[in-house]
Formats: sequence, C-alpha cells, structure tokens
Amino acid sequence: MVLVPLLAFVLAATSVRTRRSAANMAMFGAVTTFALTLLIAWGLTRRTTPFQVSYPYLNIPVAFTGASNFQGFGIDIIIRVDRLTSVALLVVELCVIGALAWHRVMGRAEPGGPRFYALVSTLLFGSVATLVSYDLAELFAFWGLAGAATYLMLAQRWGSIEASRSGRIALALPFVSDLSLLCGIAVIYSHYGLQSINSVVPILHRTAGVGAKTWTLAAILLFVGVAGRLGLWPLHIWLTRTAPTAPPAASAMVQSVWSVVAIVVLYRIMPIIAAAPTQTLRSLVYASAIAAVAAPLLAMVGNEPRRAMVLAGSGVAAIGVALVIYSYQASATTLAVFGVLGVLAAAPARAGAALATSSIVAAMRTSDLAEMGDGWRRMRATTTALLLASVVIALSAALAVPLTAGSRTRFALAIGEAVLLVSIAAIRVAIAVAIGPLRRRRAFEPDRVREVPRTSVGWPYWLVLAGVVLAVAMLFPSWLGFLDNQPHKAATAAAVGIWVGVVGIGLLLTAFAYGSDKDGSLRASAALGEVLRKLLGRAAAAGSRFLWEPIAAITERVYELIPKGDGGLAQATAASGRLALAAARAPAVPLLVVIAVVLALAVGLATPGLFR
Amino acid sequence: MMLAAIAAATPTPAGVPGAGIFTSPLILSLTIWVPVVVAIVINTFPNPRGRYDTLMKQIAFFTNLGIFFVLFIAYHLFETFLPTLQYEEKLPWLPAFGVTYHLGVDGPGMTMMMLSCLIGMISVLASWGVRERVRSYFTLMLLAQATVNGAIAAHDMFVLLLFWGAATIPVALLILGWGGPRREAAAWRLVGYWGLGTAALLVATMTVYAASGGTSFDMDVLFKSALTPRVQLGAGLALIVAAATRLPLFPFHGWVRDVYSEAPLGVSVVIAGTASRLGGYLLLRGLVAADADASRLLSPLLAALAAVTIVYAAVVALRSVDLRWAAAHLAMVPGAITVFGLAALTPLAIAGSVLSMFTGGLAAALIVAAAWVLTDRAQSRSLSVLSGLAPRMPILTWLLVLGALGLLGVPLLASFPAETMILFGSFKTQPIGAFAVAAGLVLTAIALAVLVHRVLFGQPNPDAPAVSDASLGETWYLGLLVGGLLWVGLFPSGPKLPGTDLPIFDPGLINVMSAGITDIASPYVQPAPTAAQ
Repeated sequence: MVLVPLLAFVLAATSVRTRRSAANMAMFGAVTTFALTLLIAWGLTRRTTPFQVSYPYLNIPVAFTGASNFQGFGIDIIIRVDRLTSVALLVVELCVIGALAWHRVMGRAEPGGPRFYALVSTLLFGSVATLVSYDLAELFAFWGLAGAATYLMLAQRWGSIEASRSGRIALALPFVSDLSLLCGIAVIYSHYGLQSINSVVPILHRTAGVGAKTWTLAAILLFVGVAGRLGLWPLHIWLTRTAPTAPPAASAMVQSVWSVVAIVVLYRIMPIIAAAPTQTLRSLVYASAIAAVAAPLLAMVGNEPRRAMVLAGSGVAAIGVALVIYSYQASATTLAVFGVLGVLAAAPARAGAALATSSIVAAMRTSDLAEMGDGWRRMRATTTALLLASVVIALSAALAVPLTAGSRTRFALAIGEAVLLVSIAAIRVAIAVAIGPLRRRRAFEPDRVREVPRTSVGWPYWLVLAGVVLAVAMLFPSWLGFLDNQPHKAATAAAVGIWVGVVGIGLLLTAFAYGSDKDGSLRASAALGEVLRKLLGRAAAAGSRFLWEPIAAITERVYELIPKGDGGLAQATAASGRLALAAARAPAVPLLVVIAVVLALAVGLATPGLFR
Repeated sequence: MMLAAIAAATPTPAGVPGAGIFTSPLILSLTIWVPVVVAIVINTFPNPRGRYDTLMKQIAFFTNLGIFFVLFIAYHLFETFLPTLQYEEKLPWLPAFGVTYHLGVDGPGMTMMMLSCLIGMISVLASWGVRERVRSYFTLMLLAQATVNGAIAAHDMFVLLLFWGAATIPVALLILGWGGPRREAAAWRLVGYWGLGTAALLVATMTVYAASGGTSFDMDVLFKSALTPRVQLGAGLALIVAAATRLPLFPFHGWVRDVYSEAPLGVSVVIAGTASRLGGYLLLRGLVAADADASRLLSPLLAALAAVTIVYAAVVALRSVDLRWAAAHLAMVPGAITVFGLAALTPLAIAGSVLSMFTGGLAAALIVAAAWVLTDRAQSRSLSVLSGLAPRMPILTWLLVLGALGLLGVPLLASFPAETMILFGSFKTQPIGAFAVAAGLVLTAIALAVLVHRVLFGQPNPDAPAVSDASLGETWYLGLLVGGLLWVGLFPSGPKLPGTDLPIFDPGLINVMSAGITDIASPYVQPAPTAAQ
C-alpha cells in the first residue's frame, strides 16, 4: 500500500512521456492504493489490534557509556495502521482520486502534464507513508518528502512570474514550520534518546533531568510544525497565495491531504504535547481558537473566491485542532477524536469546493466575486456542488463540537463564533456566485458561459458525499468506538441542534445579506480587502526595508570587501616582494645603516620607560 | 625504495585487523604512491603531438578505478567493531625529530578514503574533455589525488602537514594552466588562502610538538600529552583557521567564488568533493579527537562560524548574478553543517558530522559540477540570460534539482540521515546554534528554489544562445555522484538479504563509519541524569 504510489512515481518519471499515459499511471497508483487500503480496513474490522511491521533503516552505536538510550542511534521504518489511520488513508486517497479525475479533463491546458502527475504520486506516497509512520524521524522524513512534492505541485506553472512568487512563499513558510517540527522532534530525542512514539510516551514523566521547560519547548515546536501544514492563521499564507496561481487540482489536493495528515499526526503526538504544563496547553487552545476565528473573518475580506474557501477550510482545521488540544487539557482525551473527525469530514468537501470554485472562475473568466453571478442558471450543477460543499464544511465543524465543548463554556462560545463565521465565509462564495447578474465585460460575453464537461462535473459531488458520510457518522457512538476503541456516548439531540442551528443562522444571515444587497456586500468586502492589501503591503515593505534589505546590503558589502581585502593584501605582499628585490640590489652599507636606524627607532620607541 | 622499506619494516600482518585476503599491509601506501608513480610515468612517457592523449586519460582512469576497487575490498573487510586504526603502516622516517611514516584509518578515515577514491574516479571522467597538454594535466590531477589521500591516511602530524600543504601546488597549477579567463586571480587566491591554512596548521603542529616535549609528531603521542590551557587555545584557534581556509568557513571563503568558477571541471570536483572536506577531517582529528578541553572552549566559536557561513552563503547565492558563483557559495553549506556537528560535541552529532563529510562532499561536488556543465552547455553564466532551460536540458535539470535536494538533506538522499543526526545531536548542547543553522537551511532552500526556478523553469529567454543537454559522459559522472547520494540514502546500513541481517554487496557506510567514533566521542558522553528537574 505504501510502495504503490512510489512505484507509480518511478514509472511516471522514467517511462511515460505523454499527458494521458502519465494521468493513467497516477490514477492507477491512486486507485490501487485505495483498493489496498480498503482491504486493510476490512482486515481491521476483524481484529482489535492494529497492523504493525518494522524495518531497521539505520542503526549506529555512538557511545559505550552514559545513558543507555544515547549509546546508539537508530531510525526504524515502523508502519502501523489502526482503524483511525485507515479511515484517514481512505480520505486522502479519495481526495487525490477525485482531484486527479477532475484534472484529467479540466487540466488539459496546464503545462508540464507528466511532471504534474508524477508529483501527485509523490505527494500520495509521502502522505500515506507519513500517516502510517510511528517513528518520529521516519515521520518527518516522509513529511518532508510530501512537503517537497507539495511545493513543486503548487509552483507547477513555472512560466508565470506570479506563480513563481507564490511558489516561493509555498516553499519558505511551510519549510519554516517543517523545521519547527524537526526541532521539536530533535528536542524530544535529545532528552529521551528515543524516537518511536510508543516508546517515548510511557517515559515522558519518568526520565530524570527532563522537566517543564523541555516539554513546553517541545510542545510549542511540534504545534507550530503541525499548524503550518494545516494552514492555521497566520501560517495560512502559503495556501491562500497559491490558490489562484497553482493548478486547481494541486490546490485542492494540498488543502485536503495536508489537513488530514497534519491533524492525524497532531492526534498521534498529543500525548507528547500534553506532557507540557496546563498553562502551555491552554495557550495552545487559545491560539487555535484565535486562528479559528481569524481565518473565516479574513475570508470575508476581499472577493477572491478561492482564497475565501481556503480560509474557511483553515477555520475548520483550527476548530479541529482546538478541540483536540482542549480535550487533553480538560483531561477528556477520548473526545479528542472528534477534532480529528471534523477535519476528516471537511477535507473532501474542501477539495470539492476548491474544484468547483476553480471551474466557476475559469468559466466566468474572473476571480472577483463582484463580477460573478447567475451561476444558478448558467452552471447549476457546479454551483450546487459548491453550495453543498460549503454546507458540509460548516457542518463538519459544527458536528464535531457538541460533546467536546458543550455549549455553556467560554471555549464553546469561542468555537461557536468560529463555526458561525466559517459557515458565513463558506456559503458567501456559493451565494455570490449563484445569484445576481453576470455582468458583461470587455472581451467577455456572459451568454457563452457554460457548465463544465459532464465527465468532470460529478467529482466534486462525490467528494462532498464522502464529507457528508463522515460528518454524519460523527453522531454515532459505535462508529467512534470502532475508530479509537474507546467508549463514547451520543450527543443529545438538543446539543446537536444548537450547533447545527449556528450553521443555519450563518447560512440565513449570509443569504439575507447577499439576497438583499449583493453588490453592497461585495463592495464592503472589496473595500476591506483593499485596506488589508495595503496594510500587508506596508508590512512587507517595512520588513523588506528594515530586515531583508539591510541583511542583503551587509552581505553584499562583505561579499565585495573580502575579495578587495585579499586583493589588497596580495598587492601589499607583491609590493613587499618588490621592495625586498630592490633592497637586494641596493648597495649594502647604506642599506645596513638605514635598517639599523629604523630598528633603533622602533626598539627605542617600544622600550618601556622611554617617556618617563 | 620507500615501499620496499615499508614492506621490510612492517612484518606480514597475520593478525592485523582488516587485512583479510590482503597479506600485504601496503593498501594505504598504494592509494598514495601509485598515483604518484603513475603520474611520473605519464609525465615521462613520450607523447608526440598528443598522439597518446586518450591513452593517458585511460591510464589515469584505470589507476583510479583500480585503487577504488582495492579500497572497496578493504572497505568490505574493514572490522567495524574495532575502534583502533586498521591497515596500519608505521616506519621511522626522521627519528631525530620524532617523525614517523605512520598511516592508518579508522571508521571516519575509511569513509573519507572511499569518498576520495570515488571523487578521484569522477574527476578523471569529468576531465575527459581536456585537449591541451593532457599529459601535464593528468599528472597534476593524480598528484592532487595522492596528496589528498595522504592527508586522510596520515597519522603523523608532520606527514599530514606535508600532504596538506602539498595539495595546494598541483591544484593551483591546474587552475593556472587550464582554468578560465580569470584563472590567475583564482589560482593566487587559492594559494593565498590555502597557504594561510598551511601556515596555521604548521603553527598548531609545532606549538603542540614543542609543548609536548618535542619527542614525536605521531598523533598517538602528540595528542595524549597534557597541555596548558593557553597552548590548547592557541593550537585550537590555529587549527580552526587551517580548517576554515579549506572548508571554507566565513570569513576565509574568499577563494571559493573564483576557484569554482574558473577551475577546470575535474579540478572543481576534486576541490568540492574531497580537498575541502579535509578541513572538517582536520577538525575531527586535530581538535575534537585530540583535545576535549580545547574543543569545549572553542565549540561556541565553531558553531557561530558554521551558522554565519550557512546564512551568508544562502544570502549571497540569492543575490548572485552568475550561476557558477551561486553554486560555489552553496557548496559551502555542507561544510558548515559538518563543522556545526563537530561543535555540538555529542556522540551523535560527531557521528553525523563524519557522515556529512561524505555526503557533503558528494552534494557539493554535484552542485558545482552540474552548474559548471549547465553553464558550459548553455554558453552563458549570467542568470539574466539563463532562463527556462528545463525543456531543452531535461537531464541537467534532473541533476541540478537532485544536487539542490542533496544540499538540503531531503529524505531518500544520504544527506538526510547526516543532517538529522547532527540536528538531533546538537539540540541539547547548542540549541541556539541549531536554530540558527535551521534558519540558514530555510534561506538555502529559498536560494535554491529561486535559482532552480529562474534557470530551469522560468520563461525561456529568446535572446539566449543555443543550448544542448548533457552528453552521455557528463550524465555518467554526474550520475555517479547522484548514485552515491541515493545509495547511502536508501541503504545507509547496506542492503540486506530479506528477512536476515546478511549484507549484500555493501556492509553499510554507517557501520564502517561507526568504528572509532565511540573512542573519539567518549570524552563528550554526558552522564545519565540522576534527578528530575
């Protein structure tokens, strides 16, 4: 299951030449992986223990004395698949298959077809391998590989300057968070000498010399590492900047796949993060809650629809993270699975929303919601898919909350606000596209807008359906118990009703606002977006002026000084050589007199007590 | 006569570790003196009007291949559980001064020898296109390789110093004789900086020699003597200067730009692949393994130099206008990572440094060589001209991208375990340095991305000269570098028969490398903590 996408990549990179054959190879790899995962999932229904296998990759003795854990270093390839992991794998593979199938038709004009499909296989390999890894170094290795493939996919449109600029952000920002993850793992290793999650957790509090500072540092580093790939505010920029410039299928896959991978990894390493003091956990919960509110708020600023959907999804991811950490902070660890399932349910819906939005943007030839409209009439299927996806995104956040946060705590209020904002942010795009006139523009005739080809219109629906199934399944305690082998109780109908009601309120508010004055609403968003753009521009200019440019200027000065310096030294050396040669040719006696006088002066001046 | 003397002085080793099928203890001397002898033979061989140019190239190649083959068997027979020197040769040379012709390798030494011989082979292949004064060229190349091998195998500081200093001459002559338009500046810069390094090494050696009683230059004696803190500090600083000029580290990197851009390709490969790695090897042998007190005192300085070097190299590469200059500065990054691992002074970080000398040599050679070939094929070095070359140069695209990934330590490549071990091993003792190095790696990644984007995947430049992809020969030797990175990255412990621990073909570089590391790292092992904080 793990090696199939790697094999697909190798074959795609070495043998296929045409777009179609590359697409077939990638699809074959993804479908085969999906089938094998189904087989494994079926096998897990017949046993309670996960499948696990381990291969030694690296084992080196480095010392014969000292703490036993540090006398050797080893990285093992530990592949472990439990029920939750198998569901996560299925979600990832489904998102990749859906996006691939859509891209086969809608991505025909994208440059570098074979390269793109090879990278998709690499991303699938990296993400699958990360999900099944239980050794921290191994996990990071595959995480890094998936990250490299992600960057290359998002920067696929090499010839475009805007795409390359966005691609650099897609490289730099996640790379910083990946390094934070690596540093967190390094901190854990440097104190425990172990990397297997199952080995580290039992000794977290039983190792001498390790205390609160270490746990806090590790918790923060690990959290930042995961948050970056989840795209939590303010680490979301790499997703929002690349959403308009990357191939839509790439953006869809990256958003959905990384949300699943990162939340599952967070869930897996939560026992390590939870070793930190309660204050640290509380701070992480606050940070997640702030991100959950800030992201959908930002989604309502500006009229770029793809960016708005990314931010809405980021809000859901933040809610999931907040629920996971809150569960541990409140010592109700069995409820953490809700946070994971909320994100899992949203992932295919996010992918479907990204594909549908991109179809609409391409058909209407604008990325400004103010210029879009009449989608219900002209592109009903795609618009409906977008609408359903938006609802599922909002519902997946809402249905994860009832048992975890309750409804009367401050945390629940914050999350409630976040759910409301997510629902507004998500549905806003669908409503703005669906209603109102599609205005005629220069070189654009609204009557020529058509629905997307039939072969690709269905895939967003399939993805949304998967999201619906996963979202509704959260209401069944037996499903939850099946996933994590823990007892769960069902949420009351009232609690569920409250949270669904929050989503409903959001939908109604948006429908009312846009239904009564769509242009006014979008003008307000555009104005806010312009303000934000100016603020960010000023911040970037300040950063460049006070940080980057001085560093670059100092580096350039040093870069020029060093060759000048050693050139000067060389000239001085050559001059001294010429002097020596001249001295050798000069008459001896006068030369000796001169040298004696110079030496006498030098010694005399240097002698202590001369000027007493 | 010297070889005969060695054979006579050192008895046939019945129990010498690692001898195995070899009954002669001359392996290390072979790797040094066979290239010298062949160089002399080539140079005295008549070659009217270049008639035997190809034959000379073949002789040079098969010499390197033969040495690599012999060394590979020695690598296979290396006893991985012995921390002491293997394939040892010891012969009194200048007994009045305590100089012995003492050669030997432990795990790190064996790793460096393998790197040197592999790079030697690749550099000959990379030099196949040389047409002028072929005889002189390959004579000097073989001499350069011999001096590098000698510096690695030497276990007497005087002998090491001789080989260290001797490496400068053939390399400088190669640049002067076959380099690009600015070869004179490049050669003189190299002589200046490497000469400074040699002088610093001389100062360090003589200081320690004098302070230890002036009886012997043998490392086993020299480094065991008790030195005053002032002597330790002085010698340590001098060793750092010597290593920094060779690796190079900021601010002793002034030769890098000119040398890598003006030197012939084969020479650039040798310098980037092995000659520069000698700096890290010197720090390992002369500082970390020799003097724990001085190492601890100077480790913050080393860590700072490493971090500054990485950041500086990345920023310069980002602002560079010449592809070869950018690659030259990026080639500094692996050396800085090696030094950082040595600065961390933990067993794991030291082990990671040893591995990173090997992987860094391959990665640096690959990035420099790939940039060199690409600029040669594209007939321009300017980044304002080179743009969108990927569709027309698919092979070089792959090679340059893999070189970039090798520098970054991407999983599946050999630099990943090396950098992981260094970072994991350094967090406890050098956390700030580790963060700084990590930040430097981020900048390096950005610099590489910008470079790769612009040169390979940007909009094709209609005004650019005609380009052609790498030839079969170029693909081969660059592919060998990639192959080395992939092989060790996929099988660091060597491939094994499925279900067993039996190695196939390769005992594993990690296993060979680890012999001797426990001894080197033993002063730095932290005791098990006794109380919870």
